[in-house]
This record gives sequence, structure tokens and C-alpha cells, in this order.
Amino acid sequence: MHHPGRLRLKHGNTSGVTSCITITSETFKEGVVMIYKHRTAFAMILVVLFGMTLFYISTDGFRAFTSESARSYELMQKNPAVPSVTLEDSQERTYSFDELAEDKYVLLTFMYTSCTTVCPQLAMNMAEVYDLIPGEYVGKEIVFLSISFDPTKDDPETLAKYRRAFGSDGQTWRMARIKDQEELERLLEKLGVVVIPNEYGEFQHNAAFYLVGKEGRLQEVMDFTNVEAAAGTVTAILEKGENRP
Amino acid sequence: MKQAVYGLLLYGFLVLPPVAALLESIMIVHMHMQMPLLVLSGIFMARFFQIHFPRFFEKWNKNGVPGVLLFMVIWSYWMIPRMMDETLSVQAVEVFKFISLPFLAGVSLRDSWSKLGSSAQSMVFVFLTVVFLFMAWIYIGADKQICNNYLEVEQKTLGWGSLAFALIMIIYFLQLFYIDQSEYK
Repeated sequence: MHHPGRLRLKHGNTSGVTSCITITSETFKEGVVMIYKHRTAFAMILVVLFGMTLFYISTDGFRAFTSESARSYELMQKNPAVPSVTLEDSQERTYSFDELAEDKYVLLTFMYTSCTTVCPQLAMNMAEVYDLIPGEYVGKEIVFLSISFDPTKDDPETLAKYRRAFGSDGQTWRMARIKDQEELERLLEKLGVVVIPNEYGEFQHNAAFYLVGKEGRLQEVMDFTNVEAAAGTVTAILEKGENRP
Repeated sequence: MKQAVYGLLLYGFLVLPPVAALLESIMIVHMHMQMPLLVLSGIFMARFFQIHFPRFFEKWNKNGVPGVLLFMVIWSYWMIPRMMDETLSVQAVEVFKFISLPFLAGVSLRDSWSKLGSSAQSMVFVFLTVVFLFMAWIYIGADKQICNNYLEVEQKTLGWGSLAFALIMIIYFLQLFYIDQSEYK
């Protein structure tokens, strides 16, 4: 009595599996026929999916719609090491970036003093960030650095004038030029700064605040027009006192 | 078939590297001349595909909706500021522009247009008007450089150009309401 029952159960099971397979293959066939009949509707869905995929891939998952935001996003993913460059500051001191940045965070921007558009705003915003960072960190945990990419015009004397105009102390916020053109270009390229000269002998360039971590790697790229957000981000990082690997 | 040849000639002209470089050097020309001309070359060349593959279009684009959707997707795609920049810095994106605008957007628009009803055709106009208005808003309103390869002045010019396009389309709509079309048929 036990035996046949078990057998029947087994039998029932197998036939269940077969019918199940038959159903799937039939549904599949029906599906194909349905697509075939409604090719236009199917094409519509395909187009929509194609569009969404295309937009998704091209904008880093709807994150970056401008190449500038793409650049920040990519930089923050990569955390490139800042190449060693030799700086000459407004007090005619010469030192390497690594010496200045040793065991400190560096808030970095690029500018040139004869710039009349974005740079003064950038420097003013930098001054605001400087004031918003708690005083106990300034100079000890973080230094501010404005680098000129016009080394021929921006000699220490010019930089000193610019420094005074924006109230930088020349110590915890330094203004410097990179004399070696090759070094300068390498740095600009590493940080993705694009400089285009315009018709008035000026340069147009994409501007941002760059925060370099204690290990000399780029840690954050921040919107220079949003002072509060940048100061908030920097302060939070300083308070945490940790460096992203 | 003559049309397809003209389309091919136009396309061949636009693809020439010096012509492409010249058109792309000015932002507004890049977006409002090169891109529409590429679509136009596709619209002409569409004749060739319609004659040689009539069944394909008949089956996959019966009511014209998939084709016009494809046109909208491709057109919006090239309105993204980042794509404008990347055509200049990434070769593959440039190649994709020269393929997608004529062959995906242009050809499918031509095939779809006559199949669409007049209300669907109006929808396409509304879509274009909205896109141009949106472009105008972005490019005139932006207080910083959106495309790294173009100056801010050019960006503003592009914005005003887009606004002009949008206004022309709005005027077209208005005349539809106020002028009796049947008088001119």
C-alpha cells in the first residue's frame, strides 16, 4: 500500500514538470507571435529603452549633464595624486607643493591676476570660505593656496598686490605661481582644468575649489559659487580628521 | 531617388573634416546649423531606405510613433551640453553624432511624418518648441560656463538663438489659429 502510493506521487510529479515545460514553451511561442503581430508597439518600447540606456550611460547614470560635472565626478572617483610642482609665492619663497602640504589639507584654486571675470569672484569666495572655516584648523590642519596659471605676468610683486587686495595673509592663504611651464601643464591636466584664451588676451577656464587630502590626493572638487556648501564640506572633513584612502 | 543623392551630397559635405571643424568652432552654428543640417540630410536620404526596405518601415513603424520617438530621443540627446563638449574631445561621440542625427533621427522622422495624424504632428512641434525654450532658459540663464570648450559669450548667443527658434514656432502655431488654412489650398 505504501509502495504504489509513493510511485504515483513520483509519477504525478514528473508529469507536472513536463506540462510546466510545455506551458513555458507555448507561452514563449505566443510571446514571439505577439511581438511579431505588434512589431510597431514593440519597436516603440525598444526605442524608449534605447533612449533611457543611452542617456543613462552618457550622463554617468543621470549624474553629469555638463562636461564640468562629469569632470568633477570622474575626479572624485579617481582621486588622482597631485603631481609635485615647484611654487614661488608672493613673498618670493620657493618650495615644492609637497613641502607646503605636508600633513595638511590644501584648499586649492587656479586663477590669474589680470582676469576680470571669474577670478575675482573666485578669490572673493575663497576669502569667504577662509573666514567660515573654524580658526583652530587654519594653518595647522589646512592651508589655502591660489595658483596662477599665467606665470609670465604674475610675478611675486603682482601676486603680492593681489594678495593684499583679497586680504590673504600670505601664510595660511598663499598665492603662488608655477614657473616651470611643463610642471604647470601637468598639474592642470591632472586636475582637468581647461584654459582657453579669448579674444581680449584673457583666459577662460573652468573654476572650482579643490581639496587635496593629507596624502596628497585630490579628495573633493567643489562648486566655487556655493561658498556655504564648500565651507561645510571642508569643515566636516576637518572635524572627522580622517583622510579617505 | 534624386533626393537621396542630394541628401548624400549634403551629408558628404558636412562630414568633410574642415567643414565639420569650422561649423563646430562656433557654438550656435554647431547646434543650430550643423545638427539640423545633418537631420535634413537624413530626411533626404530616407528616400533611399524607403525604396529599398519598404517592408521594414511598414512593419516596424506602421503608425509612425516609434520613428518619431526615436527622432525625439536623438534630438534631445544632442541638446545635452555635455554631448556638445564631448563631440569635440571624444572621437567616438563625434562619430555617433554623424551617424545618429541623419540615420536615426532624420530617416525615422521622414518615414513617420506622413504616417502621423495632424495632432501627432502638432505634438512634434510642441516638443521642439519646449526643447528650444528649455535650451534658451538654460543657456541664457546660466551664470557660469556650461561647455568647457566654448566661451560664455557664445553660450549666451546660443541661448538667444534657441529663443528665436522657439518664438518662430510659437508664431507658426498662432497663425494656425487665426488664419484659415483652407483658403490657401
